[in-house]
Amino acid sequence: MDHFPMNWGRPRNDALDAYGTYPIAQRPYNGPTDAFSAGVQHTQQPIVTGTSVLAIKYKDGIMMAADNLASYGSLARFKDIQRLHPVGTNTVIGAGGDMSDFQYIQNFLDQLMIEEFTEQDGHSLGPSEIHEYLSRVMYARRSKMNPLWNSLIVGGFKDGKRFLSYVDLLGTTYSASTLATGYGSYIAQPLLRKAVEGNEDTLTEDEAVKIIEQSMKVLYYRDARSLNKYQIAKITADGVIVSESRSAETQWSFAEGIRGYGAQTQ
Amino acid sequence: MPDMVALSRQQPQERQFNPYSENGGTILAISGADFSVIAGDTRQSEGYSIQTRYAPKVFRLTDKAVLAVNGFAADGNMFVKQVRQRLEWYRHAHAKDMPLRAIARLIQTMLYARRFFPYYVYNILGGIEDDGSGAVYSFDPVGSYERESCRAAGAAQSLVQPFLDNQIYFKNQVPQPGMTHPKHLPLGTVGDGLEMFVVLAKGSPLYGLENFDGVQEMTSTHEGERIFVVRRNLKRD
Amino acid sequence: MNSLTNRFSTTGPLSELKRAQALVENEEFSDSAWGSEAGFGSLAKGVPNFTVPSVPDPSAFLRLHTDDHADPNCRIKIQHGTTTLAFRFQGGVIVAVDSRATAGSYVASGTVKKVIEINPYLLGTMAGGAADCQYWETYLGIHCRLHELRNHERISVSAASKYLSNLVYSYKGMGLSMGTMICGWDKTGPAVFYVDSDGTRLKGDLFSVGSGSTFAYGVLDQGYRWDLTDEEAQELGRRSIYCCRTPRCLLWLTLEDGWKFIGNYDISKLHYDGPGETPGAGYGYDVRIERSTAAPVAVQA
Repeated sequence: MDHFPMNWGRPRNDALDAYGTYPIAQRPYNGPTDAFSAGVQHTQQPIVTGTSVLAIKYKDGIMMAADNLASYGSLARFKDIQRLHPVGTNTVIGAGGDMSDFQYIQNFLDQLMIEEFTEQDGHSLGPSEIHEYLSRVMYARRSKMNPLWNSLIVGGFKDGKRFLSYVDLLGTTYSASTLATGYGSYIAQPLLRKAVEGNEDTLTEDEAVKIIEQSMKVLYYRDARSLNKYQIAKITADGVIVSESRSAETQWSFAEGIRGYGAQTQ
Repeated sequence: MPDMVALSRQQPQERQFNPYSENGGTILAISGADFSVIAGDTRQSEGYSIQTRYAPKVFRLTDKAVLAVNGFAADGNMFVKQVRQRLEWYRHAHAKDMPLRAIARLIQTMLYARRFFPYYVYNILGGIEDDGSGAVYSFDPVGSYERESCRAAGAAQSLVQPFLDNQIYFKNQVPQPGMTHPKHLPLGTVGDGLEMFVVLAKGSPLYGLENFDGVQEMTSTHEGERIFVVRRNLKRD
Repeated sequence: MNSLTNRFSTTGPLSELKRAQALVENEEFSDSAWGSEAGFGSLAKGVPNFTVPSVPDPSAFLRLHTDDHADPNCRIKIQHGTTTLAFRFQGGVIVAVDSRATAGSYVASGTVKKVIEINPYLLGTMAGGAADCQYWETYLGIHCRLHELRNHERISVSAASKYLSNLVYSYKGMGLSMGTMICGWDKTGPAVFYVDSDGTRLKGDLFSVGSGSTFAYGVLDQGYRWDLTDEEAQELGRRSIYCCRTPRCLLWLTLEDGWKFIGNYDISKLHYDGPGETPGAGYGYDVRIERSTAAPVAVQA
């Protein structure tokens, strides 16, 4: 019992309440135990990580981009990782965050598509169904305090409709005509919004590629966990195309002229 | 009395996954004799980033009940899905929509089922009661609730609620000598985006709603309760 | 074969979905869940299930996210009640409460009903977590009715309060917060029991709970007698709440044939005019000044 009347009617604090209250963690547990429970590790921080994913709506569908880097802390560990993953024939998911969790997601989504295919019922999962499924899984995992540590963008085109939506490790979802994860949400998102908002139905493929290229270049300049080697995916009425890796032309000669830090002879 | 804040800092704090976030926004609801108005902005944000300018926070549950959710968007959306599922089951079992006061109690039990792992959601339920009166129910995250005439929740609660108290409850207003405050507010002039749901009781007049800019009716018949939605663009910044 | 591997596989979409369902469907859904037994209806079968976060110390988790006392910046601000009092006298039980609920330092509501009408004969007050009190006292109401149906007589106040205290005791240490008085009239006459979330249950004549309780006790103790008249008792209840500096005072009286609501008083009106319509008859400052004229005037330094 808390003997300070001013505290009554408030959630208790063990610092003050040494008597009478036994946090359940300290109660003896007599139920069945899992012999391997000590070996079960929840992802409590991402290890091998990918950075931004960008996505926009344009005239013919959805365009997405992500670079090929998987970092290990600040080490550029894997430089040939594909972070845009086609699911079925109308959908691409792009992932930032923990790459092992992303591989797990790829795995179960692929299995899901196979199971759906074997039903042969004339229905296939489109982008909105896949996004709904993913958001339920992500939310359920966060509710278990065992999140899949990713920010995912789901882009797709089905039945003449564009679909672009986001889901992250907390299960938070939203859609907009431009989306970006990670650093991209700070650096690229304003550029994308300026170029795309209001022009979703007039932007041509070439213009969309230019906008994406420009944004990826800015991200490469500013995001220290990015790589100048990225892929672009487009999802249109014709299906999914994920491009070969490409690079943006960058200019670093200006660095020569910077004075005031670093190794300089004069 | 010992300083509780200082004491709690002395304890070791485990760094662990934080399952909650805050997605901003404000919701509010006002009820009158035969109507209720439920509004919410449509921006969803996290920290200083705007995630999207259109993510609805106000959801139609039945022909005479509208639920607004504010706080952590993932919790809110998932909670609305579950409430809708329970209402659908009720419809299958009883061949009618759940009455508003029963929905309010349902929401309490659903919120309280998560007493030890709360939904970070502030709910405001608005609609028409079985007796035809407009009603607003407001909830705290673990399910304490009451029926009120008006309620605001969310980021701007502390700015909006005093305004509502003044305009709806006539707090700090003195009527003219010989006059009294009107008992109910007539429905008249009542961000990124704003979405406002108006639920009118059966047979209620439209109060000039038909002349409103961008109003859209969500019910197909004029016989029962009618739900209108008004969508507006607010200042983009 | 396929179904066999599906059933026992721990990865893959089906098991992921199963795990998601097991979690998201936090209530035990049976066939009855979509009938009239949904919600509280299913509680008659036993204590409901609660989702508990899968962390080493759930009560610490709850405190981290909801305890506005230890950390004013925590996100989830739960509504709390402040001042409630109840006392027993020859004419019944007086229950008086204020109507303010706070969430953090913000006054979340000035119109909260802090007396929960468990049934027409029993009242419960609400101090501490608003939801805890509302929920468990509603739940108590269900069981009081079941008692009536099983035994063909009304439950005693003692039994009802014991039911509640046993119930919250089973959740001890998990972060529930309630301090309540169960008030009513049974075969033994008027009765008041204090029950809190620690499992404490006390029989008594006079209780006050909440952060304003110390002020209320001050007034209550000096004015309390068993043989108060109804009018005196109501006045004592009003004055006790008045001294807690709250905007409104709500008053109930429990009688042999059930409780009745006495009134909802504006404290600032009580301050100037008192409960009647006589201006200047208030409990307020003027009265005290007049009374203290005999006292020596403080000497200016």
